Amino acid sequence: MAVVSGAPRSGGPRQKVVISTRVDKVSTGARLTSNVRAAIAIVIALIMLIPVFWMAMTAFKTRPDAVAVPPLLFFQPSLEGFVSLLTDRRQLNPEEIAAAKERTDLDFFNQVALVRGQTVLGVSAFPGQLLNSLIIAGVSTIFSVAFGVLAAYAFSRFPVPGKDDLLFFILSQRMLPPVVVTIPIFLMYRQLGLYDTHFGMILLYTAFNLSFSVWLLKGFIDEIPREYEEAALVDGYTRLQAFRKIVLPQATTGIAATTVFSLIFSWNEYAFALMLTSDVARTAPPSIPLVLGTGGIEWAAIAAGSLAFLIPVVIVTFLLRKHLLRGVTFGAIRKG
Amino acid sequence: MAQTNAEPIAQVTPRGAGGRRQMSDRRIVQLFILPTIILLILMNIFPLIYSLYLSFTNYSVISTDPPQWVGIQNYVDILSDTDFWRNFGITGTYALASVTLQTVIGFVLALLLRTKFRGSGIITTMILVPMMLSPIVVAVFWRLIFNPSYGILNPLLGFTNINTSPEWLGEPGLALLAIVIVDVWMWSPFVMLLCLAGLSAIPEYLYEAAAIDRAGGLFVFFRITLPQVLPLLLIAVLFRTIEAFKQFDLVQGLTAGGPGDATETVSVQLYQLAFQGQFNTGLSSALAYIVLIVIIAISNLYIRALNRAREG
Amino acid sequence: MANIELKQVEKKFGETFAVKPLDMSVQSGEFIVFLGPSGCGKTTTLRMISGLEAVTDGAILLDGRDVTWLHPSERDIAFVFQFFALYSHMSARENIAFPLQAAGLKRDQIRQQVAQVATMLRIDHLLDRRPGSLSGGDQQRIALARALVRRPAAFLMDEPLGALDAEFRESMRAEIKRLHIDQGATTVYVTHDQIEAMAMGDRIVIMSAAVVQQIGTPAEVYYDPANLFVARFIGSPGMNLLDGVYKAGAVHLPGGGAYTVPDDWRRVLDAPGALPADNAIVLGFRPEAVRVTRPGNDSPGELGAAVYADDLHGGYSMLHLQLADGVIVHGRAAREARHAIHSVLRFDLDPTLVRFFNPQTERAIGRDS
Repeated sequence: MAVVSGAPRSGGPRQKVVISTRVDKVSTGARLTSNVRAAIAIVIALIMLIPVFWMAMTAFKTRPDAVAVPPLLFFQPSLEGFVSLLTDRRQLNPEEIAAAKERTDLDFFNQVALVRGQTVLGVSAFPGQLLNSLIIAGVSTIFSVAFGVLAAYAFSRFPVPGKDDLLFFILSQRMLPPVVVTIPIFLMYRQLGLYDTHFGMILLYTAFNLSFSVWLLKGFIDEIPREYEEAALVDGYTRLQAFRKIVLPQATTGIAATTVFSLIFSWNEYAFALMLTSDVARTAPPSIPLVLGTGGIEWAAIAAGSLAFLIPVVIVTFLLRKHLLRGVTFGAIRKG
Repeated sequence: MAQTNAEPIAQVTPRGAGGRRQMSDRRIVQLFILPTIILLILMNIFPLIYSLYLSFTNYSVISTDPPQWVGIQNYVDILSDTDFWRNFGITGTYALASVTLQTVIGFVLALLLRTKFRGSGIITTMILVPMMLSPIVVAVFWRLIFNPSYGILNPLLGFTNINTSPEWLGEPGLALLAIVIVDVWMWSPFVMLLCLAGLSAIPEYLYEAAAIDRAGGLFVFFRITLPQVLPLLLIAVLFRTIEAFKQFDLVQGLTAGGPGDATETVSVQLYQLAFQGQFNTGLSSALAYIVLIVIIAISNLYIRALNRAREG
Repeated sequence: MANIELKQVEKKFGETFAVKPLDMSVQSGEFIVFLGPSGCGKTTTLRMISGLEAVTDGAILLDGRDVTWLHPSERDIAFVFQFFALYSHMSARENIAFPLQAAGLKRDQIRQQVAQVATMLRIDHLLDRRPGSLSGGDQQRIALARALVRRPAAFLMDEPLGALDAEFRESMRAEIKRLHIDQGATTVYVTHDQIEAMAMGDRIVIMSAAVVQQIGTPAEVYYDPANLFVARFIGSPGMNLLDGVYKAGAVHLPGGGAYTVPDDWRRVLDAPGALPADNAIVLGFRPEAVRVTRPGNDSPGELGAAVYADDLHGGYSMLHLQLADGVIVHGRAAREARHAIHSVLRFDLDPTLVRFFNPQTERAIGRDS
């Protein structure tokens, strides 16, 4: 690099400039601001996640630790919370406790329960509810995305009578407060025997996700140039074949984004699940706030349940963040 | 944004390469759209109509009596109920405070993060997490955090004496603020993301032109940056306002309307009317419709702004 | 109006040069065009002069004042962008007034000056419209007005006609040049379009791959290209360049045939060191140098070719002539003389218009070296 001899020019940077930047951004002052910005951003991101970290920590605390005053940052980790979450127990009287302590063949759950003088009766309702969440969210997503992509394609490629009104109608469904529709659906389901059934919930979630799916997928499909299908048609493919072979493969990112959103929405859904299920088809969200043990709110158990419920979402969020970013901003962010 | 010039639907049944009859385009359209329309009519339209009917009756789900027509009595009752207006005010306050804070914080965050630096991608992802969580679960663990004895918020804010530290969910004045805080925590990133989208679309040469013309920092901000971001910001505001009016999970989870009825938003009131106490189905249906009308009004604006921004 | 001096100005990204150390001066009131293919460094140089990019070494002087590290707003220059850079939510008037407002002028003064430039650029009737609703040509006029209204020391323009339709480009070209003459403004203009450069520039700086190839008037770069790049780049089509070997006063082409070199060139080419050791040489001539002599095969000193194509270019014919080894040269012919494809003919070259190049250094061999 050529060095200009002599005293540094006034106002110029002391080091050699190697990065292309505006003249006013080249100074050491500018580079400092950039680092400060980065630091602030990191701090903010960490602060934002403190509640989540705290809850995760609480899940591993013993019951007394969870409600310690002042709150404990350092503690002895324990799986008590998870055991409480996953099992039904009953309190043992002192003789039973003494007898149990003698035994050497207690399984892991019983061992942990014994610490608080309890014995395990059986599996709690939670795993079943988690499974329900999985089934209902999964199946309803499959349907809403499948129906959605078909409808989106039709709206995108063909002039449908009253298209704008129909689309508006579909999108406006998203605006309904769930409580408004819950009452009549509750009555309907009760009449039809769909109350507290998997089928009923799947039907409901599919319908509710459909509006967002159609709208989002239409946006994605609109961006696929029609020339590809037209070329296929000229080559002798039927319209259905063109749809299957050409549009669908190109729409995979859109389909992935829509799937993720539907999954997350169905997985997280609370209001409908609360009001339209009780035992058989109950999903996890309505029951997490209610994980009661003998003697009041078990925070460690609730935290454990919350954590178990949140982890899949966090993982999915991280893995499919690019898709999520596009969907969240309604397709406004175009870069990867 | 791609054009959607629709081509004419083939009226004739076309023949494919093998000479077999294929489905005409019209058939395909009908087939493709049908499931969606049916489901929506079934699960949305029909319940809405049924709900409308119920709002004119005094029906209750727990009674064996059939619904009896009472005309607009339910509506009159609600609109003349001071509790309703109070709750409406609470909902409005909550919506206003929450959306304002979200917008400001989200916008500031966007300005901060707009210049790429190492790790800005990861940070953006981290910030994406809160809004992806289930609101009820969020409510639950914030209950723990807000707890005046063993929650971490008070100590973090510097209140070390339990007896004098604020009882977030226990005091009427603070409870609504608590809900606002959680809502802002969850959704500021959403506003941030939308603003980032808007900011990144601003071409660099606009700033360069301003630089040459000796424009000051504030000048540039108000005349270049802000106008470009405004459409997306508007969308964010409208969307979050609609969601604020619809909000049920968060409020129910944090306070269930309490303490007393200090945070009883209209959604919570609706739930209580319909599924608790007297199970007054007719009355709650009327309330539901009133809420619906308000939301439709705002949604209209929202959808229009959305379409305009998407075409822009 | 200012003169601009660039002293050893360079731009590096890491270890790669975007602009190799460059020296040049622009006289006050001159219209200088930076010309070259994309990525050659012309825009980067312009941006360094404006202050939108920082130099990695060297100095830039404006009227003797060292502006190398000054903020763009302190250099007293105006910049016209390719994509207009107009603020879409402000009217044309407000766009033009923008720099004056930033400078803090009084409202009456601003109105007056805006009206003045609007008349100059004939956009008075557009002042209250928003740029988004106007054609590209009108938008660029508004951008020009915004640049003019400040009465800067120099105008810098980055491919301002690049975003316009072809029909606008010609008329805008003329307008910009007329404005330049009226104002006597020092202008540095960047383009990749050599026709534009030739039409507008007082002098042209041709760049390629971060290096200045030649600085000269349009006539100079056209008739006396400094190297093979300039010879090929300027002209449409570019100069014909034939590889050959120089021996005994003639250039021998690979396919056979030899061109007898004019006498004044003989002296130059015979001089020791003029050519590389193997006497390789490149013969260059523009289409208008070609003089078709006769049909048929035989005549020493002239070149023979078969007609590959005959394009009618309006007032003249552009012949594509294929030499024995398959190389195609372009030559102009009178349009009356139609030549059948595949017919064989001989042609000579106007001795004042031939040029020679050293294939090793790629530089032109000077007539008086």
